[in-house]
Amino acid sequence: MFRKVLIANRGEIAVRVIRSLREMGIASVAVYSDVDRTSLHVRMADEASHVGAAASSESYLRIDRILDAARRHGAEAIHPGYGFLSENADFAAACEDAGIVFIGPSSASIRMMGSKTAARRTALAAGTPVLPGTECGVTLEQARDFGRSHGFPILLKAVAGGGGKGMRRVDREADLESALRDAASEAERAFRNPEIYVERLVERARHIEIQLIGDRYGHMVHLGERECSIQRRHQKVIEECPSPLVALHPEMRHEMGEAAIRAARAAGYYNAGTVEFLVDQDRRFYFLEMNTRLQVEHPVTELVTGLDLVRLQVEIAAGGRLPLRQEDIAWRGSAVECRIYAEDPFNGFLPYPGTLTRLSRPMGPGVRLDGCVYQGWTVPMEYDPLLAKLAVWAGDRPEAIARSIRALREYDVEGIRTNIGFFRQILEDPEFLAGHLHTGFIDEFFARHKAPQPPPGVRTAAALAAAIHSAARGPAETPRPGGCSRWLDTGRSDLLR
Amino acid sequence: MKLALTINGAGERMEILSPAPGCRFRLGDGAESMAEVEMAEPGVYSILMDGVSYEAAVTETPAGMVVVIDGFRFEIDVRDPRRFARRTAGGATDGVATVAAPMPGKVVRVLAQAGEAVAAGQGLVVVEAMKMQNEMKAPRSGKVLSLHAREGDTVTAGEVLATIG
Repeated sequence: MFRKVLIANRGEIAVRVIRSLREMGIASVAVYSDVDRTSLHVRMADEASHVGAAASSESYLRIDRILDAARRHGAEAIHPGYGFLSENADFAAACEDAGIVFIGPSSASIRMMGSKTAARRTALAAGTPVLPGTECGVTLEQARDFGRSHGFPILLKAVAGGGGKGMRRVDREADLESALRDAASEAERAFRNPEIYVERLVERARHIEIQLIGDRYGHMVHLGERECSIQRRHQKVIEECPSPLVALHPEMRHEMGEAAIRAARAAGYYNAGTVEFLVDQDRRFYFLEMNTRLQVEHPVTELVTGLDLVRLQVEIAAGGRLPLRQEDIAWRGSAVECRIYAEDPFNGFLPYPGTLTRLSRPMGPGVRLDGCVYQGWTVPMEYDPLLAKLAVWAGDRPEAIARSIRALREYDVEGIRTNIGFFRQILEDPEFLAGHLHTGFIDEFFARHKAPQPPPGVRTAAALAAAIHSAARGPAETPRPGGCSRWLDTGRSDLLR
Repeated sequence: MKLALTINGAGERMEILSPAPGCRFRLGDGAESMAEVEMAEPGVYSILMDGVSYEAAVTETPAGMVVVIDGFRFEIDVRDPRRFARRTAGGATDGVATVAAPMPGKVVRVLAQAGEAVAAGQGLVVVEAMKMQNEMKAPRSGKVLSLHAREGDTVTAGEVLATIG
């Protein structure tokens, strides 16, 4: 087993990896940019190295500096986390060349699954269902032909795409020309590649993915599904295991699991990975893409299966055999994860970096919090706004949802805005409770939802707190009533600490 | 002590008849009420009123006070009318519209200059944070009276970047 591992990442995932390494008795090395010196992953790690300026292109994406840090600290392996260099085949290859173990699949597997069109071909060859679409970029003629033979609506997507850029829904042939032009120019601006391909559009689709784990000796199992249909800007915000749909149709887990394993085997895959599927209203599933790394939402799978995915990743990377057969995997209870972001959900989900003036964390039964924040920390404006993942486990889905709402009520973050209050509204929504999920859920939710009104006592209590707090601030702002009050003096000295 | 409050933009009068912890008070035209108020942590008040327990977290921001109870958020401005009037939040003067940053971030582009005539909806400043760009537009037509943003500046939410008159 390794004695020391470097984590080529920051934020909550770096903290998550450090925790498993510590449990395994492995020393951890953090890397950090100029603005992350006091970030939690640096404070928690056993060792740390500065790798450059705030812009990730100058630090967390610098392969040379990260490998250099690994050599200087004597790290035998690198965990890439998610994002940054985690799906960069060149980085995996550079680790292989440097004799440092990359905790993930081979660079060859990353290449086979990295490009959207290459991944589609791999999946098709393996007999995994793929959504009807074109194999490469199209002309207007080809897009029109596709629409005529498969029927509208269709979906235009950027070949080099990601994050919804260059994506357009086209309902009628008459709209195709301008939509293709817009999508191509948006793709050109975002990726410097205007190529657009076409897929059949699935109405009210669900996004359900399968977690895989396999060793270097050809043994692989699936750890079941995660429902990730609740998204904003094409990014997941709530994930669940089991999927409420799969819970009603248990055969889907086996079918999707087998299909995912076939696609991954075709790419010679090992270590942890996830195959994402789109599921239509008739419960047919289609290969979307493969994420060749640990997913953000892996905690819900861990809570339900009782496994530690990071530990398994490290053991497999160190040459270990996967100690699990498919029949050993059991799914117990239900888990829900909310991604806590520094953003304002009621103002277009605009990011909201800043300093946390107060932080009160949820605790108690069934609550797991993977975060990177502490009171007084300033959330940098250079990176992803993910602050923490609140993952909750309970015996069944209704209990897990009720427990999530309870935990969100205990969660207080001040100084910045977060989506904590928004999650409570989603989790209390009857459509969500009924499990009627699809990727357009949040848009529809906003269209039909009215913000809850506080009970009258709450408003009165808020006014009273403001008045008392204002008085306790001292004579510079407002005169103190009654001349002398021990309570107010205590309040003042506390406030002035 | 009589106070003038603004709660989420709405005016409200409040009278504190006896100070905390055994606080007698009157809100608006309501009856006299009683509440037990204790500061449990710095800025966090435990309030017992009519047998109900409330926990109020008070944060002071440049734009005013924010009180959060059970996830409900109140922006509250407290003034004592006996003292000189404090400036009102937003600093609005008749006929002048202000353009404030909707989120903290970095100014990446300035699209107008002081003195320039602008049309309603015209882009003035682009602020970026966490890889998201947001263009601030003129709320109405007029002349740019002042433009405080420069490329590379860091701004806070609510910070006035320009005024249009």
